[in-house]
Amino acid sequence: MSNLLALTIIWPLLAAIITAFFNNKKKTVRVMSQVFTLINLALVSVVLFMISTNGTIILETGSYEAPFGIVLVGDMLAITLVLTTNIVAAACVFYAPKSLTEQQESFFFYSFFFMLISGVSGAFLTGDLFNLFVFFEVLLMASYGLIVLGNGKAQLRESLKYVLINLFSSMLFVTTIAFLYSVVGSVNMAQVSQRVQEVEQQGILTTIAMLFFFVFATKAAVFPLYYWLPRPYIVPNPVVSALFGALLTKVGIYSILRVFTLIFVGETDLTHTIFIYLAAFTMIFGVIGALSTNNIKLIVAYNIIPAVGFMMMGIGIFSETALSGTIYYLINDMVIKAALFLLVGIIAYVAGTSDLRKMNGLIHHYPVLGWFFFIATLVLAGIPPFSGFVGKLLLIQGGLAQEEIMVVIASLVSSLLILFSMIRIFIRGFWGEKQDAPPHPERSGAARRMTWPIAVLLSITVLLGVGAEWFYPSVEEMGEYLMNPQIYIDSVIKE
Amino acid sequence: MLLAVLLPFIIAIFIPFLSKWKHKLHTGFFVTAVPVVIFIYFARFIGPGFEPVEREYSWIPSLDMNFLFYLDGLSLLFILLISGIGSLVAFYSIYYLHKSEQLGHFYVYFLLFMGSMLGIVLSDNVYVLYTFWEFTSLSSFLLIGFWNHREGSRYGALKSMLITVFGGLSLLGGLVFMSGITGTASIQEMMSQQELILNHDFFPLILTLILLGAFTKSAQFPFHIWLPDAMEAPTPVSAYLHSATMVKAGIFLVARFLPMLSVSEWFFIIVSAVGIATLCWGSYMAVRQTDLKGILAFSTISQLGMIMAMLGFGTKAAIFAAVFHILNHATFKGSLFMIAGIVDHETGSRDIRKLGGLMTFLPITATLAVIASFSMAGVPFPFLNGFYSKEMFFDAAVTMDLSVTGIAATLQTLFPYLAVLGSIFTFVYSMYFFFGTFRGKANIDELPKKPHEAPVGMLVSPAILVLGVIIIGLFPDLINKPFIEHAASAAYGSENVKDIYYWHGLSPAFIMSITVLVFGTILYLSIPKWASIYNAVPGRLSLNTFYDGLVERTERYSTIITNSYMNGSLGRYVRLILVAIVVVTFGTMALTGGFTLDFGNLSEVTLHEVLIAVVMVIAAIGTIIAKNRIAAILILGVVGYGLAMLFVLYRAPDLALTQLIVETVTVALFLLVFYHLPNLEPHNESSLTKTMNLIISVGFGLLMTMVAISAHSHKMFDSMSSYFVDNSYKLGGGDNIVNVILVDFRGLDTLFEIAVLGIAAMAIFALIRLRGKNKEE
Amino acid sequence: MEIIMAVLAGTLFTTGVYNLLQKQLLRIVIGTALISHGAHLFILTMGELKRGAPPILTDGIDQYTDPLPQALILTSIVISFGVTSLLLVLAYRASKINGTDNMEQLRGNDYE
Repeated sequence: MSNLLALTIIWPLLAAIITAFFNNKKKTVRVMSQVFTLINLALVSVVLFMISTNGTIILETGSYEAPFGIVLVGDMLAITLVLTTNIVAAACVFYAPKSLTEQQESFFFYSFFFMLISGVSGAFLTGDLFNLFVFFEVLLMASYGLIVLGNGKAQLRESLKYVLINLFSSMLFVTTIAFLYSVVGSVNMAQVSQRVQEVEQQGILTTIAMLFFFVFATKAAVFPLYYWLPRPYIVPNPVVSALFGALLTKVGIYSILRVFTLIFVGETDLTHTIFIYLAAFTMIFGVIGALSTNNIKLIVAYNIIPAVGFMMMGIGIFSETALSGTIYYLINDMVIKAALFLLVGIIAYVAGTSDLRKMNGLIHHYPVLGWFFFIATLVLAGIPPFSGFVGKLLLIQGGLAQEEIMVVIASLVSSLLILFSMIRIFIRGFWGEKQDAPPHPERSGAARRMTWPIAVLLSITVLLGVGAEWFYPSVEEMGEYLMNPQIYIDSVIKE
Repeated sequence: MLLAVLLPFIIAIFIPFLSKWKHKLHTGFFVTAVPVVIFIYFARFIGPGFEPVEREYSWIPSLDMNFLFYLDGLSLLFILLISGIGSLVAFYSIYYLHKSEQLGHFYVYFLLFMGSMLGIVLSDNVYVLYTFWEFTSLSSFLLIGFWNHREGSRYGALKSMLITVFGGLSLLGGLVFMSGITGTASIQEMMSQQELILNHDFFPLILTLILLGAFTKSAQFPFHIWLPDAMEAPTPVSAYLHSATMVKAGIFLVARFLPMLSVSEWFFIIVSAVGIATLCWGSYMAVRQTDLKGILAFSTISQLGMIMAMLGFGTKAAIFAAVFHILNHATFKGSLFMIAGIVDHETGSRDIRKLGGLMTFLPITATLAVIASFSMAGVPFPFLNGFYSKEMFFDAAVTMDLSVTGIAATLQTLFPYLAVLGSIFTFVYSMYFFFGTFRGKANIDELPKKPHEAPVGMLVSPAILVLGVIIIGLFPDLINKPFIEHAASAAYGSENVKDIYYWHGLSPAFIMSITVLVFGTILYLSIPKWASIYNAVPGRLSLNTFYDGLVERTERYSTIITNSYMNGSLGRYVRLILVAIVVVTFGTMALTGGFTLDFGNLSEVTLHEVLIAVVMVIAAIGTIIAKNRIAAILILGVVGYGLAMLFVLYRAPDLALTQLIVETVTVALFLLVFYHLPNLEPHNESSLTKTMNLIISVGFGLLMTMVAISAHSHKMFDSMSSYFVDNSYKLGGGDNIVNVILVDFRGLDTLFEIAVLGIAAMAIFALIRLRGKNKEE
Repeated sequence: MEIIMAVLAGTLFTTGVYNLLQKQLLRIVIGTALISHGAHLFILTMGELKRGAPPILTDGIDQYTDPLPQALILTSIVISFGVTSLLLVLAYRASKINGTDNMEQLRGNDYE
């Protein structure tokens, strides 16, 4: 039954191939993609259930024993993130038909979409560093395909920067893997971890660790490497922005989380202290970026960065509570970022502009949209009882327990500023004089149909917050599990 | 009890469905029932034999977030205020808000607020308390923005939200800190381990965080500035949230933690100084206002300051007076707000310069107003409750005898004088409010509407409150034994009982009251003579200017900071990223002593390899200095072919073949693409840029080389590759080990590598073929 | 020899990065190509050079060069090829549609 785990990566790959053949039959490909996504969602849920009852699934591909073949490690953390990915994907695939132009749909949107899911899921599941690189390339290549889809002027310009930066960091990634391989003679994460701990992470290993950090931090958009992020994220179609905002940086964060809890835990005084400082700077500079603009899409894009700071904070503090906070925040952020990008997509669509200064009184015509946005703002700012609060609370608890006052204060300040940056959209865009008619009355029908996937995402965030009791215990176990890398090693390498 | 707190939330969910019937029956009627029910439910706890009640309902036990309710005298006092005034305000709003307004929204926010407020005062669990705390800020935000087509409403809503959420977040920090130290989320249990908190290194920080939360919510100086702007909300809201209940949440919080925090001398210094400052500043500024609600807003600020100051004193008498005044203030200020609403409703104006002489037109309202405002002024009549608590305040200030030194001692001597000063202005604005509105010359023509007495329904609520003023004044014992005493004891931490008398003899407090009366009258009569003082203090240097500047600067400097580095220049981004990588990684290498050089484990140096390397280096540099695009591309090809030759020499035949093919195709592609693009331009950047680029690239290259050398010198384990050599034929059935690894041992890599190529092909196809209309152009 | 190769690969990174920091697209793309060459050379060097025969099983030989880095490089070369091709087409389209091949003119500050 453990082969089902591979199916969570292979199924989207197959879906990508199948949908590529139907690129000219729009209706068919839409329905097909929606069905495929739902099947995958169901599949992942089944695997999650299996893992939660029977424990971690180790899949040795080609039946070559670890550490020699590539292993997929289906632990609770990985599979939970795969599930979240698929939830986000499902929301996006139902939002897509109304949001995309027909041309975009017929030029392989759905294939790229499935490859992205495949790459992201693979990156979460793999237990092999080089394989992680390959999945990074899969998801990046899919993202290149998605970001250029449409061929707009600004779109191509920003895509170019996006591709170049990622290309550079990919090359740094393989080189760093090679360095590590030279020292420890393995690319299997469990074995690498075992060997690094055996020699107490001496000599060059910490330096290599920092190179890994920079590779992942570039993808995750940690200070001071996030410059490339905001603009490329707003040029493509909203549904693409949503996928990017929800998934791409999170893969980077996940990799840091994995590598710096499993492998490089020997010099935490140095590495993790650096993370704490970087986390604080990431939060503050990110939210400053969000306050700097009147473009609503850009505001949301910038708000990715402080969230990354919050997650880094937990990794830096490095305690059970803080890591649980990071995981909770990660799950929450995937869902809420998708919802927000989809929301601002609709807002810009119905308003006919993404410039906040040109909007006014939208709530009188689009009350549901307005209240959804309001709730999403609260979730993002971490107001209880929504899901953002749970993660934030754990992070603050973890931070105060270790007396990391500075980063806790930074997190509180940035929470306030996040709220400010988002509520501006509500106050200036939604409130105001009632206009006689909405700016584009003909668009309200499509807008309404695009709203309900968001409703699903928002109910999940509410559920994650109000019903935290159903989820938190298992997240807490994940935090505990991350603090004990030996469990991971033992499950992969059986002797 | 859980149901009582959740009732407003539950009803709120159903409010939107009521909108169908709203034209037949005002939604307010349904809503009024909610606080009435809650009031009745809790009123049964009143009585001399009251004992605290505790109830626990689980919510998120794994996070220690449970509905742990603790009903003591203090919470009971607040609950009765919330539900009692809530009922009156809801009833009043039926007449105040016309059916054509968005009543559904209004009542949803209203109920959200009421539920959250009940939650605050009942929660013993700090996280749940914080949850409700933020919800009151949010519902206040929505209520202030109820008439959001007005600029002022939006401004006020944002201001109140920013300030109160700022406070909320610091409160969260303080609460989490305390629960971390004591290992519990229950306030009662925290207080039972108060030494842990009081002796903690970070106690000053904790105190600051908690007090910031309380001060922002209760509009204490200098955070009071949101309250006057909150007056944009409909008047029932002002009466309810911004005078009787929400702004007292901060007071409640301080009172809740009082038994623990007041042990610290800093608590006394900060809280009482801030309270007195707020009292004086608020009452001083109230006289300057021209909007009726503006006067009341500043008056609320000053009264809250007075209560806060009393809590800061921390003495038995002061706390008793504070608790008593919480109740009294709610009665007279609630009614005054409703009166201001009536005036506004019936005349169409709240500008005191246009109003005047309304006594003849609104006689009942005027009667209510005179009682309420005289009670607020503390005029010594036995039927005005304001006088009782005001005199207790004086008494507490004079008799306060804390054994303190330093600043605290100075403050202690100053306080009685400041208390009198603040109260003089309180007297002045009370008179100003009443006489300015109801006496003097009437100029009806200037008013938007012809004034007449308000409908009975609208008068009921203020009348009940004024009745309360009188009853408490005449029969203080009626409420003292059954519940003021319990509230005071809860806030004090042990029994705090006192008899309330009208006449104490010629005590210092009474003399102070008389002083206030005399000087207040003189000052009131001579307002025109000294009003110009407001041009000097605060003059133009107001806190509002500061706030506006702060908000505006936050946005402006954010823009400046962000644009200074996020300028869209790829070169800039790469430079910044590389500098970070080089500096931090080199730093790490230096700190951990990572660099090692081991000449022991090297293969021999041969001439032809060195030659190839030299050619490759020259070619690589050649790509930089090449002036012609074709030349540059071909030189790049030289590097690629050189690499292929190295692959041959280093026994990697498959790599060499692949590299040759890939390089050839790539060069062809390069030529194809760049043939259509402009030729290379000479390097014309400044020498500074050139040097910088050089330093960065050399630094990065050096870093990689050094890490590579160290990594090579540091081989600590045997490679896993021996497995592949041993098993290539046995398990993979092939002689070419590299191929077997690719297609078998690491087949998953190859599968997805092919997938990458496939996506690339599709993306390129889409790039070339998709010529959509460029929407943004 | 490994040290010389490390220096060579480092030089490829240096020149690659220097090109990446230029304004003109062609130079930038050349820079990325140099960086991938450098990366591949690093991987090869990390597997120890010339410690045995080419990794093709032959009777009588039991000492082979480390095959794993070679496999990794092969995967990486193919992936780089895919990305470079895409990049080339993208560069072409982007500079045609924007009318310039100068990255400094492709900043795009029109969002504020």
